[in-house]
Amino acid sequence: MSTPVLETENLVKVYGKGATRFDALKGLTFEIHEGESVAIVGKSGSGKSTLMHLLALLDEPTSGVVALGGEPVTALKPKKVSQLRNDTFGFVFQQFFLNPNQTVLENITLPLKIAGMGKSERNRRGMEVLEQLDMADKAKNKATNLSGGQKQRACIARALVNKPTVLFADEPTGNLDTVTSEIVEDILFGLHRDHGITLVVVTHDEDLAAKCQRRLMMQDGEIVTEEHGATGVHA
Amino acid sequence: MRSVDVARTALGNTFRSKLRTALTVVAIVIGSFTLTLTSGLGAGVNKYVDTVVAGFGGSSQMFVMSTGASDAEPTDGPAEYDPEAAASTGGMFGPGSGGGVLTDSDIEEIEQIENVSSVDPMVFVSPDFIETPDGERYDMELDVPANALGLELAAGEAPGEDGMELSIPEDWLTIFDTEDAEQVIGETVEIGISNVTGEQSTVEAEIVGVSEEALSGIGATPMPSRELNQQLNELSMEGYEGQAQNAYTMAVVDVENIEASEQGVKDALIDQDLLGLTVEDQIGAVQGVIDAVSWVLSGFGLIALLAASFGIVNTLLMSVQERTREIGLMKALGMSSGKVFGLFSMEAVVIGILGSVIGVVLGLGAGLVGNAWLTGEGGPLGAVAGLTLFAVDPLAIAGITALIVFIAFLAGTLPAARAAKKDPIEALRYE
Repeated sequence: MSTPVLETENLVKVYGKGATRFDALKGLTFEIHEGESVAIVGKSGSGKSTLMHLLALLDEPTSGVVALGGEPVTALKPKKVSQLRNDTFGFVFQQFFLNPNQTVLENITLPLKIAGMGKSERNRRGMEVLEQLDMADKAKNKATNLSGGQKQRACIARALVNKPTVLFADEPTGNLDTVTSEIVEDILFGLHRDHGITLVVVTHDEDLAAKCQRRLMMQDGEIVTEEHGATGVHA
Repeated sequence: MRSVDVARTALGNTFRSKLRTALTVVAIVIGSFTLTLTSGLGAGVNKYVDTVVAGFGGSSQMFVMSTGASDAEPTDGPAEYDPEAAASTGGMFGPGSGGGVLTDSDIEEIEQIENVSSVDPMVFVSPDFIETPDGERYDMELDVPANALGLELAAGEAPGEDGMELSIPEDWLTIFDTEDAEQVIGETVEIGISNVTGEQSTVEAEIVGVSEEALSGIGATPMPSRELNQQLNELSMEGYEGQAQNAYTMAVVDVENIEASEQGVKDALIDQDLLGLTVEDQIGAVQGVIDAVSWVLSGFGLIALLAASFGIVNTLLMSVQERTREIGLMKALGMSSGKVFGLFSMEAVVIGILGSVIGVVLGLGAGLVGNAWLTGEGGPLGAVAGLTLFAVDPLAIAGITALIVFIAFLAGTLPAARAAKKDPIEALRYE
C-alpha cells in the first residue's frame, strides 16, 4: 500500500477535569492512505467531530500523535500548522460558512488569498474550479443569493481551489434535501475517483458512509468496528 | 495573506456596516478638527509674531530695565530713608509699582560694560496737542522712538535718529482731509507741550511716514524721531529748579557683536540689578504664551480623541463578536493569528485615517476661511496689518494625522487581540 497521508497513534482527547472530565477520544490508532475515501461514522457525542478536528490540525490532542505524510505535527509551531492546513487540506462544512456580502468568486478564493497569492492568479484559479463544478455563471453573484445546493457546491469549490491532498467534509449533506444531496455526493466521490483526492467524510448518514471505501464506526470515543468496501455505491 | 490584501480586506470590512463606521469616524473627526484648528491658530499667530521680529532684522539692541529687587528688601515697619533708593524706585510709576526705574548712575554703569557701544535712555514725553498747517489742533500721545523698528508702514519711512521727524497712524489721515497716505508725506505740523511751570511752547516736525497698526499696538499713535523726542523732553523740563534727577523706565543699549556677547552683557547687567532683554527674548516670551494657549486648546482636542478611541474599541469589539464565524473560518483555512490581529488592527487604522483626513481637511477649511473672514478687508480684525490667525504647518498636519492613526491603532489592539485569540473550532460552532 502507499504511504499513509494521515496516521494517528494512541490519540487521546480529554475535555475538562475532575468531576466534569470527559474522555472524547480514548486512544485511537489508525492510518489513512493517499487516495482513500474514509467515512467516520457515529452518533452525536461519539467523538467523530473531535477526531476530525484533530486530523485536520484544528485542535491539539491531549496525548498521542497525529502525523502528516509520516511527520509528527504536534511539535510544529502554530504558524507552520496554519500553513500546512492551508496547503494540504480542503474543508466542506455543513453550514457552508460563506460570507454573504462577498461574491461567489471572492468566497471561494479565500484560501488562496490567505496563502498570499496575487489577485489575478487567484481569480483565474477560482474560475477554473467554478467551471469544473458548473458554477462559472454564478461567479459574480453574492453568496447570499444562492440555493442550498449551489452554496454547498461553492463550498466544495473553495475546498478545492488550493488543490488539496485531503478533503475533509463535515456532514456535507446535512443541510440539503435528498436530490441535492445526491448531486453533492456525486461531486465529492467524482473528485475522489477522477482526481485521486483523499476524502475524509464525517457523517451520521449511513447512505453517505456506505459510498466510502472504508468506514470507521465510532462509539464513546472508540472505533468499535471498521468496514471495508464501498457497499452502497449504486452504479 | 499579502499586506495589500490585508489592507483591501480591512477597507472593505470597514464599510460593511456604514452607519456604525460613520459614527465612529465622526468622533475622530471632532478630535482631529480641533487639533488642526488649534495648531493652525498657534502657527498662524506665531508666524505673525515672526514677521514682526523679521522687521527688527538681526537687531543689535538690548532693552534694559531695573529689576528694583535689591532696593526693596522687605523690612518690618517703615524702612530707613535712602536718597538713592528713593529716586530709583520712585519716578513716573510711583513707589510700590514693583519695578524700579533707571537713574543716571545706572546709565553710566551700563556704559562701562564690555561690548556696550552706546546707551540711549528712553524718555516718555506727553505733548499737549498737534497742530495742522491749517491751524486745527488735536489731542495727542506719542510713542517712544525705540519702537520705530516695529513700525509697519503704509507710506514713507520710519522717523530716524536725527531731524525733527514724525510718523502718523493711517486713521489720522482724516485730519488732512485725504485718504492717500502719500499726500501727507512732507507736511509740516506743530507740536505743543507744557513745561513744569505750565508754560506752553511748540516745535515743528515733518511727517515722514504713515503707519499701520500692528497687533502689538505699535503704529497706533504718532511716533517721533529721537531728536524730536529729545527736544520735546527738554521743553517739558524747562523751568525745573534744582538738580533734575532723571528717571528712565528703560534704556536701549547697542551691543557689539550681540550673538557672542549677549550672555556676558546680560550677566553684567544682573550684577547691577538690571535686566537686559533682546528683541528675541521679548518676542520669545510672547510666543511662549501663544504656545501655552494653543497647547491647552490642543489638550481639549486630545480629550476628544481619547473619547473617540473608546468608540473604536467598542465598534471593533462588536464587529469581532459579529464576525466570530468568519474569523473561525479564516483561521481554519490557514490564516495565522498574527494576520488576524493585523487585519483587525488595520480596520482600526482605516477608521483612524478616515477620521483624521476628514477632520484635518475640515479644520484647514474652517481655519483658512475663518482667517480670511476675520483678518480680511473689512473683517473685525482687518485693521491689524499683516495679521494671520491661521497658518498651515505641513509638519504639524502630518504629526496630527500620525498621532490619530497611532491612537486608532492602539484602540484597535484590544479587539484585534480578541479576534486573534479565537479558537477556530469554537468559532465555527458559534451560532
